[in-house]
Amino acid sequence: MNIKKINKPKQGHRRFVFLSFIFLLFVGSANLEAQNRKITLSLEKVSLRQLFNAIEKQTDYKFLYRDLILDDLKDLSVNVEGKEISTVLDQVLPGKNLQYKIQGTEINIIRKATVSTGNSITVKGNVEDESGQALIGVSVLQKGSTKNGSVTDMDGSFSITVPSGTEITLSYIGYLPENIVAKEGKLIKVKLTEDVKKLDEVVVIGYGTVQRKSVVGAVDQIDSRKIEDRPVSNLAQALQGVSANLTIQQRSMNPNDNQLNINIRGVSTMNNNDPLIVIDGLVTSLGSFNQLNPSDVENVSVLKDAGSSAIYGSRSANGVILVTTKKGKMNSRPVVHMNSLVGIQSPNVLYKPVAGYENAILKNIAANNTGNTLPYSPAQIQDLQKNGANSKWFLDEILQNALQQNYNLSISGGGQNSSYMVSAGYVNQRSNFVSGNNPSYGMERYNFRTNLVNTLGLFKLTTIMSYNRNESNSPNADTGNLMADGGRIPNYYYYKQKAANGHYLINEVLSQFTPLGSLEAAGSNKYDTDYLNGSMNAEMKITKGLTAKAMIGIDLNANHRATRSLQIPYYASEEATTPAIFQNIGGKTSDWNQKEYTINTQFLLDYDRTFNGSHHVSGLLGVSNESYSRYSNEIWMNYVDANLGIPTSETALAGNIGGKTTPMNTTLSDIESMFGRVSYSYKDKYYGEVSFRYDGSSKFAANNRWGFFPSLSAGWRISGESFMDSYRTNVGDLKFRGSYGILGNQNIDDYNFLTTYQNYDNQYSFNGTTVSGTGFTLGNPIITWEQSANFNIGLDATFFNNKFYGSFDYFNKVTSGILLSPVNPSVLGTAAGIENSGEMQNRGWELTIGYRARTGDFSHNISFNLADSKNKVLAFTGNELIHSGDSKSDIIRVGAPFASYFGYKTDGYFKSYADIQNSALPVGLDATQLAPGDVKYVDINKDGVIDNKDRQILGNAFPRFTFGATYELNWKGFDLNVLIQGVGERTMFLRGELIEPFHANYSYTMYQHQLDFWTPTNTDARWPRLALSGSTSDVNNYGYSSQTQLLNAAYIRLKNIAIGYTIPKRITSRFGVQKLHISANAQNLLTLSPLTFYDPESTEFLNNMGGPKGVGANSGRSYPTLKYIGFGLDLEF
Amino acid sequence: MKQKIRKYYIGLVSVILILLTACNDLNQVPTGQFTDDTYWYSTDKASYVLNMAYSQMMGDNYFFANEALSDNLFVTRTSDEKLISSGIANATTGRFANEWSDCYGGIRTCNTFLENVDRVPAMDVTLKARMKAEARFIRASLFFRLTNWYGAVPLFSKNLTATESKVIGRTSHAEVLNFVRTELDSAVLALPASYTKADIGRVTSGAATALKARTYLYENDWANVVVETQKIIDSKTYSLFPDYAGLFSIANENNSEVILDMEYVPTLRTWSEYFDYSPPSAGRRVNQQSPTQELVDNYMTLNGDSIQQAGSGYNEANPYVNRDPRLAVTVLFDGGIFKVQVTVPKPGIVDSVIHIKPGSKTVDEYKTGTGNNSMSGYYMKKYYDPTFTGSYSSGLNLILIRYADILLMYAEAKNELGVMDQTVWDQTIKLIRQRAGFTDVNATDFKATWTQSELRKIIRNERRSELALEGTRIFDIRRWKTAETVLNTYPHGAKYGEATIDNGYIRLDKRSFNPNRDYLFAVPQAQKDLDPNLGQNPGY
Repeated sequence: MNIKKINKPKQGHRRFVFLSFIFLLFVGSANLEAQNRKITLSLEKVSLRQLFNAIEKQTDYKFLYRDLILDDLKDLSVNVEGKEISTVLDQVLPGKNLQYKIQGTEINIIRKATVSTGNSITVKGNVEDESGQALIGVSVLQKGSTKNGSVTDMDGSFSITVPSGTEITLSYIGYLPENIVAKEGKLIKVKLTEDVKKLDEVVVIGYGTVQRKSVVGAVDQIDSRKIEDRPVSNLAQALQGVSANLTIQQRSMNPNDNQLNINIRGVSTMNNNDPLIVIDGLVTSLGSFNQLNPSDVENVSVLKDAGSSAIYGSRSANGVILVTTKKGKMNSRPVVHMNSLVGIQSPNVLYKPVAGYENAILKNIAANNTGNTLPYSPAQIQDLQKNGANSKWFLDEILQNALQQNYNLSISGGGQNSSYMVSAGYVNQRSNFVSGNNPSYGMERYNFRTNLVNTLGLFKLTTIMSYNRNESNSPNADTGNLMADGGRIPNYYYYKQKAANGHYLINEVLSQFTPLGSLEAAGSNKYDTDYLNGSMNAEMKITKGLTAKAMIGIDLNANHRATRSLQIPYYASEEATTPAIFQNIGGKTSDWNQKEYTINTQFLLDYDRTFNGSHHVSGLLGVSNESYSRYSNEIWMNYVDANLGIPTSETALAGNIGGKTTPMNTTLSDIESMFGRVSYSYKDKYYGEVSFRYDGSSKFAANNRWGFFPSLSAGWRISGESFMDSYRTNVGDLKFRGSYGILGNQNIDDYNFLTTYQNYDNQYSFNGTTVSGTGFTLGNPIITWEQSANFNIGLDATFFNNKFYGSFDYFNKVTSGILLSPVNPSVLGTAAGIENSGEMQNRGWELTIGYRARTGDFSHNISFNLADSKNKVLAFTGNELIHSGDSKSDIIRVGAPFASYFGYKTDGYFKSYADIQNSALPVGLDATQLAPGDVKYVDINKDGVIDNKDRQILGNAFPRFTFGATYELNWKGFDLNVLIQGVGERTMFLRGELIEPFHANYSYTMYQHQLDFWTPTNTDARWPRLALSGSTSDVNNYGYSSQTQLLNAAYIRLKNIAIGYTIPKRITSRFGVQKLHISANAQNLLTLSPLTFYDPESTEFLNNMGGPKGVGANSGRSYPTLKYIGFGLDLEF
Repeated sequence: MKQKIRKYYIGLVSVILILLTACNDLNQVPTGQFTDDTYWYSTDKASYVLNMAYSQMMGDNYFFANEALSDNLFVTRTSDEKLISSGIANATTGRFANEWSDCYGGIRTCNTFLENVDRVPAMDVTLKARMKAEARFIRASLFFRLTNWYGAVPLFSKNLTATESKVIGRTSHAEVLNFVRTELDSAVLALPASYTKADIGRVTSGAATALKARTYLYENDWANVVVETQKIIDSKTYSLFPDYAGLFSIANENNSEVILDMEYVPTLRTWSEYFDYSPPSAGRRVNQQSPTQELVDNYMTLNGDSIQQAGSGYNEANPYVNRDPRLAVTVLFDGGIFKVQVTVPKPGIVDSVIHIKPGSKTVDEYKTGTGNNSMSGYYMKKYYDPTFTGSYSSGLNLILIRYADILLMYAEAKNELGVMDQTVWDQTIKLIRQRAGFTDVNATDFKATWTQSELRKIIRNERRSELALEGTRIFDIRRWKTAETVLNTYPHGAKYGEATIDNGYIRLDKRSFNPNRDYLFAVPQAQKDLDPNLGQNPGY
């Protein structure tokens, strides 16, 4: 057994290290006796390295000095004849603080054990960062020693006893190390400078960690500083804009359905494009990700290329997001950290209706334009104008400012053998919808977490247990309908939602219900989730460098939803005494329960060793199982008790009264995997890595179940070469890296390989009794994994002594065998089973730069990222598929980006009747039915008519040139944080009332942004001339998917700005407070975009960005963008 | 040392074994659905596939949308039917694609049933024969729907493979009709004339004969129309239900007049189109379509004269009195009665008088272009079911072929053959008019002076009045080739418009019908792109 256990002792291992050391000395000297050889040397002013070379030439011995950096000082002179090697080494090594041991023909040079030699002195000092904050836990080490060290305490103070004149190294992760010379008596004050590139930062990668400088894949790590203290309600919001090509689009800001699309490097499959989420080593889901308390997160790693993600082969084709939660530190006193953020979220509806009388005039203009009777008489218009002050837009009546509160408390610390981090968090985000008699809408989340690390000899046990509860109360109405109904009402004073006596009113426009009635009295949906995430991770050191790890984790979601639907009377007028109609007749209640859990078990062997100080070898071999189960049931009841919602004698269980009862609805799936990785690096100059994963999925038939996913990566730190010495000294670090690998994707529904028969109750009926019907779904037994070949090449560079860094990546991904339901002719009569038939390419690049500067008392930290990705469909069964809905079409076409907007190009507006006569018109349209100011389409194929053959690709919903920038400024105790984020190129397809005035007789008002319409005197207008719905002009202008509905949704947004002040410690420490930081922050304060009437950040992509129907069209129904302004308080003691 | 390593290996292997056995298996089959291996084992399960075919035979959406294609209704909102009736539909219009794929979807279900039902062990032979005939009837009806709309269509009687589906060509209209008729012939032989209890509502031999009669009617093959309708009349299985209004109520479902219908059950299997057809005071959502003045004008006065005839008793100032009783059953006009659900003072259904005339100060009042109300000043009424639940979910059956239709077909064919006489009249139109509530002999009795062409007009108008809002009108005006006239003009609403335009009758959006194109639907563009052998109908 080899016991060279001397390098990198860890705290808590000290006794073991010490014992090993004694043992080593014993073994070492025993060998020494046995293996002595005599040498003759005559050397003047040589370095140690040259001396060793000389000895090696004369003998069979070989010097090994791993982990040591020998100085190159030519300060040795040796003159011996026929002396033993030991004599020479004894003579020169002590001066270098080194010693040796001989084993066989190897001479290991190691650091000398710290034994105080004579005049030791005690050095005291304290360490702070550039803003003057004390740095806790900074490692203080005697240079050349691995044993004689200390760490800074809560005040940043340290004390160390070293030989006089020796150097002391202060190092701290994320900061550039600093050396000081030990001098007695004086209190040394050290300021550490942050290392922008953080070469020694530990980066979390799949099943392990690696130092930043050794990273050869495209990995981005976001640390807690970017996540903490942001007034966000979930982690995804905090990640927006901070990493290149990590595109996060908010589908709704509604606290009750906070939908976000997370995407890494664009759309690469036509199925689910969600990245794989791994929390503390446990594969889980996006849902669980959003349940996390952002304050508990230590860091988030984004694995973008094959090199880094192939170890997760199975589902890593869309990238991987690794979340690591905070752990306590060994040997540190308890630190209590409290933080609170309280603010107001105000709804920011960007479109506004025109005044009531203006609306009536505009409607008259539209009617006049299309030859219809004028709907409003002059008297009516005058009446509207006279009473205009009394009108209130319905949308303003249903929206309000809402309070958001975030509170967190954590205690962390550790003893010799264990550490702990215990936290609790509470978020309360109120909805911006008014709620009247209903309980207030919004969501609350409680987070509890205990992360424990225990070590016992060779064992290390990490136990993570987190419990989160989410409670939400949402309107018993669809957000889209509430927004649409509220927004479509013209500003007429006589339209009211509620009479003075509290009666809810209908009118001929909203004749079923009003949004205010629905919000205030229609009941609500209560939704709660209990989420438990727990894991136990045991590590055992088997032998030097070899660790065995076993882990079992469970991810459990228990969801429950209870819906109460209440009957509301509506009255036809303010005076009416009997209701005209009722909403939710009978009232109804439903209960839905679902339990889903994933059990994840892993076993790994991890090997990590450095040989000869230059050859670093690490490897990993593992097996894992992920087993997912879901059970759900639902019960509906009608005619329940009006107050409690409990059954009464009239109550009917759904089943014979409408609604449904479902018995246990079960889904089970399973993935079994083997995986491994071998990496090698030489002198931090050359890096190579191979990894693989072999996965079996229950989603495929037995013969096609297993997929093999290998990857290869390599890196070259060119600045480490000797010919780059001067570059390294004068410029900085430079590293090239590249990777290639095959990744997999199986994110499809279960059981697709089987032809299945689904039973539907109440499908038909005979003689008043319903009967079941059976439908079928064709399966395809030969389906297997989608494969994504992924090439990445990158460059990392630092300049000006690491003050400036830059990183660039280019990637090319080709996904083949995309699982698609082939587009077959309808005569087949059913959808054919999915098959591995699609192929897509996705190419792009990422640029990240950062700069850190210090001018006087000001320190600035700037980082910026810019990225692009562009996809192209390479193969597709049937070559193209057009999907149309309302007046929007999108197309999947070989050679074009996935799901591109498809339709007619426009060529401005008809200038004259002659222009109409001479132009191609949409098929069936008659020139006499159109007029100047109507939309003119481009006859692409010049066949004299505008028809299907003229349709072109118009744009794409996926954002290009996404960017984010952060700026941090510190001045004395003050700090400023700014996050700017945006999109350089994107087209948005918007349909409905925000585009078309008086949309299809659904909307009754025009909006202010529509006022720039064509008139004979305003011919370069933004919008065509006004026309009544249903008129030929209206069909011509808005009835087709065309450029009329296409908008430029590029934007730049001040996403977050925070100003804070840390109360000087000399004041706070009097109250036992280590840190007191107050701040004011704001989100979404300012947006610049060519699109001014709708939030450019809202997305048309549906859930997970996949599927032939993955892209919808905005119709102006989304929850408004929220502006947040609030205050924060951070307290630490 | 060796031993230690062995220990590790044993530990490792056992951990791996635990990992791989502890959880779900890699072999997962669905728990809530059957697979091909487990399905075809019982008569019940086989019958569920047949039930699915019934549900695909026709849809309530098409039932009402077909009427919107005709001159009986005006469509308010953007819809495929609006595009088609405005003449601006093209090969990508959704309706063309949907009708095509829905029909072939139903055909797949029928074929799947026919190809697999023999796998069911120990199935009753008689039952199996009947069920096969039901499936073949439904399949024939779907091909008939297809060929009516598209002319030549792909014809096959076994499930296609994906490869076959991409190359199949179209079979001529005549051949498709031939197939339909042959299939119906065998269905007539294998199906019972009637059912009892739980099976009432299944297709009968009478339904097969009636559908066959319709295949001749749409071809103007009068002799064969007479042959087939005569069979039904002679069978005496069917008779006119005494109450015209009652025909369309839940209480009288499956009555003696019904030959083929779509069956529904309150709250469980429902349709809810009236959510978008009813007047505002009845709690509807929007107004999607409403009857035209042209339909209203088709109804005679009580003495059997058309409203244009002198002495008809028609009074334009009070237009809805003294009219064919079927008008008030079919159309809701100003002052008409609509049964509305109320909860105050106690839950129930009450007769509500609906005021539409401008100035009547109700939510139902007609307003020019501002409101969400009927743009024609009329609302649909036939098939409105006041017992609906929730959002107009109705369990009322929708009749596809009824005996009155057979009598009208018979009368029309006899007249076209030049053999219309009092006997035929008394057997057909007279019965229908008497049942409608006409008592004046001028309205019920045959006049020997009528010429064939006068009779043609009378029979056609009778057909329109009797069957309005039942989805047949569009096929009638297509076979009469009058579509190019009646669908090529402005439809109108009630006399609430400007006096200077069309005598004050609301002028609605112009319709357009191109006789060189619009007698057939377009082959859906996407289908044509996938299967180059389909070709296209003229004009698209």
